[in-house]
Amino acid sequence: MRPVYALGAGVHPWGKWPDKPQLQLALEAMDAALADAGVAWPDVQALAAASSRFEGGMGWGLHANEVVQAVAEQGMPCINVGGACAAGVIALQSAYSLIASGQYDVVAALGAERMPKGFIPRPPGGKDDRTDNDYLRWVTMGATNPAYWAIEARRRQHDHGTTAETLAKASVLMRRNAAGNRYARYRDPVGVEEVFASPMVADPLHLLQICPVSDGAAAVILGSEDFVKRSGKPAVWVAGCAVGSGQFGDPARRIPTIATTVREGIPHTSEVVGAVRRAFEMAGVAPKDIDVLEMADNTAWHILAWPELFGFYEPGQGDWMLENGKLAIDGEIAVNPSGGFLSFGEATTAQALLQVAEVLWQLRGQAEGHQVSDAKVGMTAVLGLGANGGSVILTR
Amino acid sequence: MNGADPEMVVEGLVEMGPGGPRLIGSHCLGCGTLYFPQMPGCPNPDCHDKRLERTLLPDEGTLYSYTIQRYQPPPLFRMDDWAPYVLGLVDLGAGLRVMGMLSGIGENEVEIGMKLRLAVEPLYRDAERGDVCTYMFAAAGDRA
Repeated sequence: MRPVYALGAGVHPWGKWPDKPQLQLALEAMDAALADAGVAWPDVQALAAASSRFEGGMGWGLHANEVVQAVAEQGMPCINVGGACAAGVIALQSAYSLIASGQYDVVAALGAERMPKGFIPRPPGGKDDRTDNDYLRWVTMGATNPAYWAIEARRRQHDHGTTAETLAKASVLMRRNAAGNRYARYRDPVGVEEVFASPMVADPLHLLQICPVSDGAAAVILGSEDFVKRSGKPAVWVAGCAVGSGQFGDPARRIPTIATTVREGIPHTSEVVGAVRRAFEMAGVAPKDIDVLEMADNTAWHILAWPELFGFYEPGQGDWMLENGKLAIDGEIAVNPSGGFLSFGEATTAQALLQVAEVLWQLRGQAEGHQVSDAKVGMTAVLGLGANGGSVILTR
Repeated sequence: MNGADPEMVVEGLVEMGPGGPRLIGSHCLGCGTLYFPQMPGCPNPDCHDKRLERTLLPDEGTLYSYTIQRYQPPPLFRMDDWAPYVLGLVDLGAGLRVMGMLSGIGENEVEIGMKLRLAVEPLYRDAERGDVCTYMFAAAGDRA
């Protein structure tokens, strides 16, 4: 395998953009990424696009083809990948492999999404019977996505004594981080009182402890060592890049299933933990080496639980870490200096690439307004429907 | 729920027996794993047989965790006189945890570790189908 480098990244700010079709968001993110990498469309040899679910792609998920037909009909391979909320990292893995294999020298990965309002609706194609989990969870008990996370959070309170106040402070930290990030949608800081004053959605989670849905787009340009040397462009090493799916016996409450068979010794959220472990192994680093962790905070519970699952510290210690400022931008390990999904909202297929862009800029010292001091090693972690997980490690 | 089998929101999840309702799951003849609902195959990577048989699952368990659904879910979910309700994750033993609404247990009474028993309760009344029911979990002993 050849080493792979991140040449540049581009992000369209997250928000609600009713006047911009999904293709427009994609093109703007690509333009920004090309400019950041100091390359142009003629340099790009292949495009891997996360296939957005809600719009575009000619109805067949052909998002890469839609983009090249708009701006770059130069015969390049178009790879269109699924993976729901983790699709962006699967696109990146595809781009990474094309370079690592020696086939190409400059490849782009792209994700763009315009989300419908409210609870994410049931996907088309399922049968109205017991063979469709998404049908079952609605008709038998009306289990919304936040209810799944709330069940995890309630159990954490039982196991580790996590207080409502600590759970609220996770949201407070995310909004404080986002205040300095011009790409984030919600940039007004909030206090614990405001979190408590927001409507209770699924106990113990209030509205401000659950990520909303947004429109957004992100792109990352990867390059080979040969290209980096030839062009003389500054680049950051992609030291680890891994995707995976769930393991049998995982105790996580997996959306949209209504039951789980649990086995001892299988990690919680195994699709992400498995990818994180593989990324650590590829990069030859351990949790103690990580300066920045950009992870999917679908809820405040994730901020407390996920670093524990990845081995950053012992189960239950997340509360103390948060309360003592260890997860802040100037703490021991900066968790989501970007502000995370709690401040951005989910733009499902784009968000994993947003995480990689953030880590890249952090390592370059270009995270204006929310920079982690002297960040050398950064990691991403993301989860998608269907038990998809992925993780990327960049080092400088 | 005596007499004729109740009208259920979806077929194939519950069987009414002399001792009360039971959830219908799968039992793997290869590795012994229990699943709910019935599965098309056994996903256990250590299992090489993977032949499944229909089985009735234990009708008692303990509450592993819960939440209170405060917002009315989208229209696929139908319930008369909607009000927030408790949604539980119930450990039925052998590693099997099943989600379901709790019946007759208020938000101040619910407690992790409490003993629960499977029940079938009406969710809404339909002009053509009459009372339409789903499975729920009630406090064990309520229906003894």
